[in-house]
Amino acid sequence: MKVNRKLIKQILLHSGLIIAAIICVYPLSRIFTVSIRPGDRIVSTDLALIPDGATFISYLKLLKETYFLRWLFNSLVITVSTSFIGVSLASTAAYAFSRFEFFGKRSAMIMLLATQMIPAGMLILPLFLMIMKLNLMNTYLGMIIAYSVSSLPFSIWILKGYYDTIPKSLEEAAMVDGTGHIGAFWRVILPLSTPALSIAFLFNFTAAWNEYLVARVVLFSSKQYTWTLGLFELQGQFITQWGMFAAGSMLVTIPVLAVFLYSSKWLVSGLTLGSVKG
Amino acid sequence: MASVTFKNIVKKYNENLILDNVSLEIKDHEFVVVVGPSGCGKTTLLRLLAGLEEITSGDIEIDNIRVNDLPPSKREIAMVFQDYALYPHMTVRENMSFALKLRRFSREEIDKRVNEAAAILQLENLLDRMPRQLSGGQRQRVAIGRAIVRKPKVFLFDEPLSNLDAKLREEMRVEIAKLYQKLNSTIVYVTHDQVEAMTLAGRIVVMNKGIVQQNGTPLDVYRKPQNSFVAGFIGSPTMNFMDGKIVSEKDFFYFQNKDVKIFIPSFVFPEAQDYAGREVTLGVRPDDIILDSAKMDHANKLSATVEVIELLGHRENIYLRLGEQRILAVGEAFGELSPNARAEFSLNYKNLHIFDALTKKRINP
Amino acid sequence: MSEILLSLGQVLSFMLLIAAAIASVELYLWAHFKYHDKNSIFYACALLFTMFAAFILKAAGFLTANAFLLFLLFEIFLIFASKKLLKGKKYLPYLLSAPAFLGLAALLMYPFIFQIYLSFHDLKLTTIMQWKETGSIPFAGFKQYLAVFTVPPLAEAGFFKLLWRTLGWTFINVFFHVLGGLTLALMLSEITRLKGVYRTLLVIPWAMPQVVAVLAMRGEFHSQYGFVNVMIKKALDIFPWLASLGVAPVNWLSDYPLLTCIIINIWLGIPFMTVIILGGLQSISKSYYDAAEIDGAGYFQKLFYITMPLIKPVLMPAVTLGTVWTFNNINVIYLVTGQAGGTEQADILVSALYKAAFTYNRYSYSAAFAMVIFLILFAISISYSKIFSERKEGKI
Repeated sequence: MKVNRKLIKQILLHSGLIIAAIICVYPLSRIFTVSIRPGDRIVSTDLALIPDGATFISYLKLLKETYFLRWLFNSLVITVSTSFIGVSLASTAAYAFSRFEFFGKRSAMIMLLATQMIPAGMLILPLFLMIMKLNLMNTYLGMIIAYSVSSLPFSIWILKGYYDTIPKSLEEAAMVDGTGHIGAFWRVILPLSTPALSIAFLFNFTAAWNEYLVARVVLFSSKQYTWTLGLFELQGQFITQWGMFAAGSMLVTIPVLAVFLYSSKWLVSGLTLGSVKG
Repeated sequence: MASVTFKNIVKKYNENLILDNVSLEIKDHEFVVVVGPSGCGKTTLLRLLAGLEEITSGDIEIDNIRVNDLPPSKREIAMVFQDYALYPHMTVRENMSFALKLRRFSREEIDKRVNEAAAILQLENLLDRMPRQLSGGQRQRVAIGRAIVRKPKVFLFDEPLSNLDAKLREEMRVEIAKLYQKLNSTIVYVTHDQVEAMTLAGRIVVMNKGIVQQNGTPLDVYRKPQNSFVAGFIGSPTMNFMDGKIVSEKDFFYFQNKDVKIFIPSFVFPEAQDYAGREVTLGVRPDDIILDSAKMDHANKLSATVEVIELLGHRENIYLRLGEQRILAVGEAFGELSPNARAEFSLNYKNLHIFDALTKKRINP
Repeated sequence: MSEILLSLGQVLSFMLLIAAAIASVELYLWAHFKYHDKNSIFYACALLFTMFAAFILKAAGFLTANAFLLFLLFEIFLIFASKKLLKGKKYLPYLLSAPAFLGLAALLMYPFIFQIYLSFHDLKLTTIMQWKETGSIPFAGFKQYLAVFTVPPLAEAGFFKLLWRTLGWTFINVFFHVLGGLTLALMLSEITRLKGVYRTLLVIPWAMPQVVAVLAMRGEFHSQYGFVNVMIKKALDIFPWLASLGVAPVNWLSDYPLLTCIIINIWLGIPFMTVIILGGLQSISKSYYDAAEIDGAGYFQKLFYITMPLIKPVLMPAVTLGTVWTFNNINVIYLVTGQAGGTEQADILVSALYKAAFTYNRYSYSAAFAMVIFLILFAISISYSKIFSERKEGKI
C-alpha cells in the first residue's frame, strides 16, 4: 500500500513537472520549427515539431538579405567593450572595499546599493540627451558610454564577496616576497579571482547583449543596429519575415542559453548574496 | 645575516594598546623565539618587523639601518606564515622562485637555489605539484623552502606549526632545529607553544599584554622566571603557586598560609628579613616536589592527602591536597601511593621561586 | 568595411581616453597623498589635472566659462576637503576605487541630477535644437510636475489610470511568480529522479535572451497562427459544446493586450523564483522535518510551520527585488505593444514614460514623470524595508 502511494505521488509530480517543462520550452521549440519551415509555409497552423519539407532556407535568407552578421558584430563590439570597462573598474574598486578601511567606505557601499534603486528605465532619457549632445548618436561609442557602468555596482558586490574569501596572508606573502601592494593584487589576487571575474564579465555581457531599450533610441540606421533591434524589426513585419526572425533567434539564443546554463549557479548565488546583504 | 633592534616600539589600533614600549635586541645568527598567550602582541611584533603593519612610535633597525618606512619588499626578510600562504595558482617550483623572479635573478641562479632548497627539505619530487595536492607537512616544507631560497637577512616564522597535528608538529620541530644548524641565520620565531619555545630557542622572549616579561636563554627562563606570569607560562605541567606570608620564627624563615607552613632555607632567600610579614607567592614546579623518602628533608616534611592520580605511562601526575591548597607532584609510574592515602613530601629548595604578591616580581635570587 | 574600421578606431581611442583619464586621476591622487608635504609636485599635478579636465570638457563640447568655473571651485573644495579629512591616511584605497566612482558619478549620478534639472525646465521637440546649440532651455518651475497629473502622457490613459494599472500589474505578476515558483520548487524538491533535467528545462524562459523570448511568445498569441488560438480552435473542433460556454478564438494582441503581457511576464518570471526558492529549500536541514514528523505533523503543517518560515530570509529579498523589477518592466510591454501603431491599453507607468519621451518627444515632461515614478518607488521600498526591520526586531 505504502509503496504504491509513493509511486503514485512520484508519477503525479513527474507529470506536473513535464507539463511545466513543456510550457517553458515550447516557444523555443516553436521558433526552431518555424526557422526550418520551407518558404511557402512559414505561417501555418501546423504544430508538428519538424515540419514537412524542412529546410535551412530561412537561415540562408537571413544571412544574405539582412545585415544579421553585421548586427551580431555590432553587438559583439559594444558588449565586449562595455564588459571589459565594467569589470576592470569593478575589480579594483571591489579590492579597495574588501581589503581596506578608509574614510567614506561605508557611505560608498550604501551609495552602491542605492544606485540599484534607481530604475534603469528612468535614466534612459538623460543618457540619450547626453549622447545626443556629445554627437554620439548612432555610434558604438554612444552605446558603450550608456552601458558601461550599468552593471558596475553588482559587479563590485560579486567581486568583493569573492575577494573576502581569499586569505589576506597571500598578499602579505607576496609583499614579503618583493611586490608592492598593487603588485600583490595584480600577481596574486587577480589570477586567483578568475572565476569571479568571469562571472562578473558574463553578467555584464548578458546584460548588454540582451539590452534593447537604449539601443532603440540611440541607434537609428539599420547597419548600426544591434541584433536585438534587428530581430525586433524583422518580427515587426510579422508575416513576411517570420522565418528569418526565427532563424536569427535560434542563432543568438543557443550560445546565450549554453553560457547561461553553465553559469546560472554562480549568478543565482551572486544575486541572492547582493540582495541579502542589502 | 643580520641583527635586529626594536627600540621603544608602541603599536596602537585606534585606542587599543597592542605593544607597550617594547625594546629588544636580536644578534646576528641568533634563534629568538617570542612566546606568549594569544593576544599578547607577539604576532604584531613580527608583522611590524616584516613591514605589514605600521609602527605607532619607535624604531626598528635591521643591520643598524632604520627600516620603519621601508615596504616589506625592501626589508630583505622572509616570512613563513601560519597558514603557509602558498600561492594556490602556482606550482611548488613557481612558489619557491616567485621572489627570485621579482628580483630579476637569472634563470640558472633561480634553478640552482630552488634545487638546493628542495634538496634540504626533501621536496625534489614535489616541485611540479600544485599546493592543493600537498599534505599539511609538505605545504609547511614548501613555505619554509620559499623562505630559504631568498637567503634573506632575517627569517620570520609566524606560528608555523600550529596548523599541524601533534605528531607532525614534533617532526617539523626537529626539522626546523636541523635547518637552523645548517643555515645558522637570524631567526625570529613566534609561537604560543612553550614546548616549541624551549626546544628551539637560543633565546626566549616571553610576552604578555604587549610587554616583554622576560628575555633570556631557555634555561634561564625556566630556572629563574622573573615574574609569576613567566613562571606559570613556561614549563609543563604548570608550576604550583601558593599565596601566603613570610614569617620568622627564632632564626628561621617560613612561608605560611592557613594550610601550609614551609621552611625557607636562607640560601634560597637571603633577603627574607626584608620581606618578613609581607604577602608573597611561592612557586614550586611539580618536578621539585620530592616524594621519595630517601631524598626527603625529614626535618621539614609536609603531609597531604592524595586526591587523584593520573597515570601517563612512564610517570604519573599526583594531585595532593592540603586543606584548600591543591598541589601537583610528578612521580614514577606505579608508585606506592593511592587515592585518599596520606603522602609525605618536601620541596627541592634549590628551585623555589618566590614572587612579591603585589608586583608579581621575583624576589629571591 | 571602412566605416567599421572607423567605428572601431573610435572605440579604441575612447578606451585610450578613459585610460588617460584614469591615469591622470591616479597620478593626481598619488601625488596628493604620497607627497602631501612636497607641495610643488602636488600643485603641478593639480594643474595637470585641471588642464586635462578642461581638455575633456572641450572635446565633449561642454566647455563654457560657467562649467569651468564650477569645476575649479569643485577642485579647490576637493583639495581642501581631502587634505583636512584624509590627512595621513592611506591613499591606496582611493587610488583603487576612484575610477569606478568617477564612472558612476559621470554616468549614473550626473544623469540623475540632469534629470532633475530637466524636470524644472521645458525641453521638447521645439526647444531641443536651441538646447543643442546654446545649451540653454527655458525655465518652467513646477509646470511639468503639474502636467504629470493633469495632462495624460499617452493618447488614451492619464496618470492615475496608469498608476492603478501598474500596481495591479505588479501585484498580479509578483503573486503568480511566487505561487508558481513555490509550487515548482516544492515539486522539484519532492521528486527523486531527473531533478537536474527538469531544473535545466524550467529555467529556459529566464535564460533565453528576453527579446527573443518575448517576441516568440508574442507570436504564439497571434490571432490566426498563434499556438493559443490554434489550440482553442482544435478544442472547439473536438468539443463543440465549449462554444456555448463562450470559448472562442480571441484577438489577443488587439483586444486583451494587458492580459497577454501579464501572461507572458508570468511565464518569464517564474523560473527565477523557482531557482531562488529551490535554493532556500535545499538549505533547510532535513532534521527539522524529521523532528516535525516525530511530533506528528502532516504535509501542510510542515509546509506552513517549517518550510515557509525558514525560506523567508531567501524569499523576502527576492520578492522585493521582483517587485522593483516588475514595477520597472518596460521590456515586455514595449516589445509586445511597441510596434508602430501598437496599442496603448497595456501601458504601465514606466512604459508610458518611455513612449512619452521617445515616441512623443516630450522630454521635460517625461523627466518630471520619471521623478514622480522614482518617488513612488522610493516610498514603496522604504515601506518594504520598514516592514522587514520591524519583523526582524519582533523576532529577536
